[in-house]
Amino acid sequence: MSHEPMHKIIRLKRYEQPPEDYFENFLREFQHRQRAELLKPSLSALFLERLSGFLAEVRVPAMAYAGATAVAVVAGVAILRQAPPSAKPVSYAAAYASPEAYRQAPVTIERIQPVSLRINAPASSTPPLAFPPAYQLQARPASHESPLSF
Amino acid sequence: MSSEMVFLQSVFDHDLSGEHNDCFCMNQDPEISPHDDQELVARTQGGDPSAFDELVVRYSPRLYGLVYHMTSNHEDTNDLLQDVFAKAYRSICNFRGKSSFYTWLHSIAVNMTINFLKKRNRRQHPSLNDPDSNIENDPDFIAATSNGDPTKEVSAHELQKKLNGAMLKLSHDHRIVVTMFDIQGMPHAEIAKILKVSEGTVRSRLFYAHRQLQNSLHEFKKR
Repeated sequence: MSHEPMHKIIRLKRYEQPPEDYFENFLREFQHRQRAELLKPSLSALFLERLSGFLAEVRVPAMAYAGATAVAVVAGVAILRQAPPSAKPVSYAAAYASPEAYRQAPVTIERIQPVSLRINAPASSTPPLAFPPAYQLQARPASHESPLSF
Repeated sequence: MSSEMVFLQSVFDHDLSGEHNDCFCMNQDPEISPHDDQELVARTQGGDPSAFDELVVRYSPRLYGLVYHMTSNHEDTNDLLQDVFAKAYRSICNFRGKSSFYTWLHSIAVNMTINFLKKRNRRQHPSLNDPDSNIENDPDFIAATSNGDPTKEVSAHELQKKLNGAMLKLSHDHRIVVTMFDIQGMPHAEIAKILKVSEGTVRSRLFYAHRQLQNSLHEFKKR
C-alpha cells in the first residue's frame, strides 16, 4: 500500500506557522522567565532559609545541653526498670511431668545431661499404637525402584 | 523572515518521499552542525548564558513545529516550549554528549509534550495558526483540494481543520511519528534515536498511522 498521497497531504501542515515576530519575542520571553525564576526561590530553599533564620534567633542557654542529657539518662533508666521480670525457666523433666508448667514457663534442658533418644516416660502414659510405624514398610522389602517401572 | 525560517522553508522544500527521505539529516546542514552545537553547549556549561540563547534561537522554530503539531494549540505550544528550554538549561550540566544535542533536546520536548497531552486528556481546544498564503501555490495542495475542478475547491482553512481533526484522532505514539516524519521531514533513524525505539517500530507506527489517516481523509485520497 503506497502512503505517498497521504504523506503529501499531511506535509501541507507545515504551512501552519506562528505570527512572524513570534520567534523574536520567544527568546525575550524565555530570558524574562529565567530571570523571574532566579528571583523566585524554590520552596525548599525558602524553608531552609527560614529554618536557619529561626535557629539563629533562638538563644540556647549553656546549661540546656546538660539538662537535656540528664533528662535523657533518667528516661532511659526508667524505661529499663519498667521492663517485666523474666519468668523462671522450668526443666524439661518438670515440664514433661506437668503440662501446666510447660504452658506457663519457658523450658530449659539441662546442659550437663547427655542427650538420649530413649523416651523415659512411664509406659502407661504412651497411647497404644493403632497402626504399625510406617518405616516398617508393611513387612515388604524396601526398594528404590518405582512401582510403575517394568 | 528570519534566517531560521528561511532555513526551515528550504528544509521543507526537499523531496521527503521514499528513500531520499532517509538520506536527509538536519544535522548535516552547514548552518546547524553538531560541532557548533558542541561548542555552544560547552560554553553554556562553562557559565555563558548567551551561548544557550543561541541554541534557543537555533532550535525554537523546529521544536515549535514538533510541539504545535502534537498539541494543535498555539498557547499550549508556547508554554510547553518555554518549559522545554528551561528544563534543558537546568539539566545541561548533565549532558555528556553521548547523543547529539539535537537528539537530546528533541527527547526532552517529546517526553514533556506527551506528558502534557496525557494530563490534558480530552480537554482539547484547538488554537490553530493561520496557514501561510503560499499553501495555495503548492502543487500538492492544488492536487488535494481541487483536482482540476475549481467548483470542488476546498479552502486552505477547511483542509487545515480536516487535517487537524485527523491528526487528533491518532494516538500520541502515532501522532509523534507522523509529525516528525511527514511534517518535519526527519529520517527514520533520527526519529528512532529520539523516541528510543527501533527503526522497525518507527516504520510500523508510520504504516498504521497512515492507514488511519487514509480512513479519516478518504475524500482527499479520491481526488
